[in-house]
Amino acid sequence: MSHQEKAAPSSADMGLFERYLSLWVAAAIVAGISLGQWAPAVPEALSRFEYAQVSIPIAVLIWAMIFPMMAQIDFSAIAGVRRQPKGLAITTTVNWLIKPFTMFGLAWLFFMVIFKPWIPDALASQYLAGAILLGAAPCTAMVFVWSYLTRGDAAYTLVQVALNDLIMLFAFAPIVVLLLGISNIQVPWDTVLLSVVLYIVIPLAAGYFTRKILIAKRGAQWYDNVFMKRIGPITPIGLIITLVLLFAFQGDVILNNPLHIVLIAIPLILQTFLIFFIAYGWAKAWRVPHNIAAPGAMIGASNFFELAVAAAIALFGLQSGAALATVVGVLVEVPLMLALVRIANNTRQHFPTHA
Amino acid sequence: MMDPVIEIEETAAAFIKQQGGVVTVRLSPRHGCCGGTARIAIAETSTPKEISTFACHQSEEVTLWIAPELAQQGLRLRVEGWWKLKRLFVDGAALASGHADTQQH
Repeated sequence: MSHQEKAAPSSADMGLFERYLSLWVAAAIVAGISLGQWAPAVPEALSRFEYAQVSIPIAVLIWAMIFPMMAQIDFSAIAGVRRQPKGLAITTTVNWLIKPFTMFGLAWLFFMVIFKPWIPDALASQYLAGAILLGAAPCTAMVFVWSYLTRGDAAYTLVQVALNDLIMLFAFAPIVVLLLGISNIQVPWDTVLLSVVLYIVIPLAAGYFTRKILIAKRGAQWYDNVFMKRIGPITPIGLIITLVLLFAFQGDVILNNPLHIVLIAIPLILQTFLIFFIAYGWAKAWRVPHNIAAPGAMIGASNFFELAVAAAIALFGLQSGAALATVVGVLVEVPLMLALVRIANNTRQHFPTHA
Repeated sequence: MMDPVIEIEETAAAFIKQQGGVVTVRLSPRHGCCGGTARIAIAETSTPKEISTFACHQSEEVTLWIAPELAQQGLRLRVEGWWKLKRLFVDGAALASGHADTQQH
């Protein structure tokens, strides 16, 4: 049996942590709220460590989350952009010309119109801002796992991640400013640029040079099997600690409006399915092979939520509704993406095997 | 008939020779942000550090070091890019499990 014809792996291949991420996020919410209610001195003390309105402990945690992801991006893979032009055209168009705007449209419809009786206007704008931040950045690391679970093409997955991360460097800030502007949410350009520099440019440059220098010094195998193995797990640990801290500040919002988490989740869930089906359906119409179509659709359906959380905190603060909305994105991510993995694996026969 | 260890395209073979005549084909891990790891088949024009975990094959002027799980899988070594951005890639490979003991190959 050839490499490509074998049965798709199942989610049982995922580790305990990622399979039950929603549970850990829920536990982080409870732990954070408890910390905020019973030991408010802890978050208060941490919030004092600020420089230029940037919380130093949060910035460190966010770098800890983002740096390992950036350190594994192989930008030399960009050389392969001409190899799967249809797949890359679909994923690039969907991720940058469709996804941010459908997220904005859905979030506006739900938060400003349908949920108006349950969400006060000021909070609705904040949730809309959080959704905009989630919609403006496609997944950057988890897509390798989704691609593995759908038996996606490895070389193509590498190329699409490198290409999307390069585009993100230039497109994230203008898209966010445009959509926040349309929503009448005023955010100074310099604040947006500062968060792009802090949470995209610095970790990306640090990751790139770390990779280049360490591979030159110690070799690629050492880098992959020793260095990345050590720093890889820092991302999920940083994520959970950030969530605990964030919810230590968010306690009152959640306790006063527990239903809001469900309300925020609804447009985010719809967006995930919508984006997946747009990209996947387009790939089917263009007769793109399944091993390209599946990872091509997964990258846009999934979000770079670490960046969204970081930008929400930088732009609106730890206690903001925007930060809460981005965290709900984390809460629903894994179960939703596993559902999409199942859909992709069950519809494999409708796609050509080869280009 | 048995599959070749790995098919090496002519342009890829020329590139490998130009780079010293040695190529290593192995699995490189990629970590997910929510945890989880998947491994990608990659090719490098260098000799592996720990050769004991690789199978060695010699053909014409190319020495191939390949991770056993990637051999005879119908994969192809190709070259892409231009000028300084030229690089080798493994065509036809799906991602592998992050856990070496649960590999699908």
